Amino acid sequence: MSGISFSDVPSLFGYQFMQYALIGGTLAAATCAAIGLFMLLRREALIGEGIAHVSFGGIALGLFIGVYPIYTALLLSVIATLSITWLRRKGVASSDAAIGIVVAFGLSLGLVLLSLSGGFNVDLFSYLFGSILTIDSQDLTISAALAIGVLAFITALHKEVLSITFDEKAARVSGIPVEGITFAFNILVALTVALSIKIIGILLVTALLILPGVAAMQLRLSFRGTMLFAVAASAVSVITGVVLSAVVDVATSAVIIFVSMAIAAIAAVYTRLGDKT
Amino acid sequence: MAAAERARGPEVGAPPAIRADRLEVVRGGAVVVEDASFSIERGDFVGIVGPNGGGKTSLVQAILGLLPRSKGEIWIEGLRQHEFRGWDRVGYVSQDATSFDERFPLTVRELVGIGLVSRKNMGRPLRAADWKRVDEELDFMGISDIAKRRVGELSGGQRQRVVVARALVRNPDLLVLDEPERGMDASALERFYGKLSELHRERSTTVIVVSHDLSTVFCRMSRVLCVNRVVYSSCVDGSTEEAALKKVYGEHFNIVYHRHECTERFA
Repeated sequence: MSGISFSDVPSLFGYQFMQYALIGGTLAAATCAAIGLFMLLRREALIGEGIAHVSFGGIALGLFIGVYPIYTALLLSVIATLSITWLRRKGVASSDAAIGIVVAFGLSLGLVLLSLSGGFNVDLFSYLFGSILTIDSQDLTISAALAIGVLAFITALHKEVLSITFDEKAARVSGIPVEGITFAFNILVALTVALSIKIIGILLVTALLILPGVAAMQLRLSFRGTMLFAVAASAVSVITGVVLSAVVDVATSAVIIFVSMAIAAIAAVYTRLGDKT
Repeated sequence: MAAAERARGPEVGAPPAIRADRLEVVRGGAVVVEDASFSIERGDFVGIVGPNGGGKTSLVQAILGLLPRSKGEIWIEGLRQHEFRGWDRVGYVSQDATSFDERFPLTVRELVGIGLVSRKNMGRPLRAADWKRVDEELDFMGISDIAKRRVGELSGGQRQRVVVARALVRNPDLLVLDEPERGMDASALERFYGKLSELHRERSTTVIVVSHDLSTVFCRMSRVLCVNRVVYSSCVDGSTEEAALKKVYGEHFNIVYHRHECTERFA
């Protein structure tokens, strides 16, 4: 291994690529944690997995036609989210079946396009597993814009989303526009998944969405406390993961997820130890 | 309608809270409510009873606009259902309102707080006056002592009180409860219906309860709708309700009257 020593870590922060990685990664992580908590409460954690796999098709489409792959991933992610919702609402398929259908479509599309373009390349690998250390100023701007959008949505409408999640029928009766808010939420999920691919990769983005929420819910806090802990835990995962991966010289996205898992495990053990005393 | 105004009772000549005319509801391709015509006056305390699968829940869901009606018409406070805009004055507790994940990260106070959300105040944060209203409702339902507890830690009876508090926090003119007795033992049930009777007395709220608990319905309520695809409406006056019950449950049904007096009788 050819990592750096711990004593050299402070010098890392002087490099622009590391600053971009930490800022962009933290913004993406916080966004994923916030949206992911609602996905957990709505029991839609696997939808993120479905959208991520469709993003694979979107990335392949972008590479095939020569368009920035994140844009095509975005487009297909939105279409996938709306398709899953439509399939469920119309009773064509149950929730997990709808996700399976969409996953199959996305993967198949990606494989066909890759076959037509001559097979896998380095670009595709970076989308599968993330390339947080190659974030540029454009990625940073996109991450910041998404984070602001998600923050604005959650600040303004978290009560409405909670009301719909807790009891959709009562929410409908009270006049809350359930379809409209659900539509907006699903679009945000699609955007969050697609725009986090560069940070964490298609294969691990679901983990970044749900692990912080899982950790936070172990602690049995109020909603505000749970949200704040999830966002903080996610940010800590990214920052710690980026630094540790530089020291150990292994894939950054994987270390981020390992740190996130460790936080969840510590939270679970802490709570259960507290139950016994 | 403000609480004080409601407490004086309905105006003479005021339209009924709910009126249905030849209502038909279809669910899953089958007719579940057929040719239903009835009215519920403002301030009524109504029980809806009937066998499982008889259409009770479908009836209330159609009244609330959650299920479409295939025939007939519904009026709410004199307005056709699609013209009615006062949905923020309607409180609803569904059959499965207490069947939530125990890990749901909400305290009792937070859950009752989100009961204040309606179309008219969407996007607005809760203010001090809103939280004061929440605390008043927690106090009324006798659950102030558990305000900071997470909803997943509560017993069945406590959960039911919390979801009712959530439905009441907007001070509704109409409150609809679907099988609220689920998960409650006899003692909790007695306390719960006591609170409901108190609510009805003090605020003159129109209350509609779907229930399997016939003794409570006939002890506490003024009117009963007996539903088994067809709706039979009757006053609870000791003479006419038995005929309606026999029509929905069958001729073999016999009412056995206990000697004791109901502790809370609708006056």
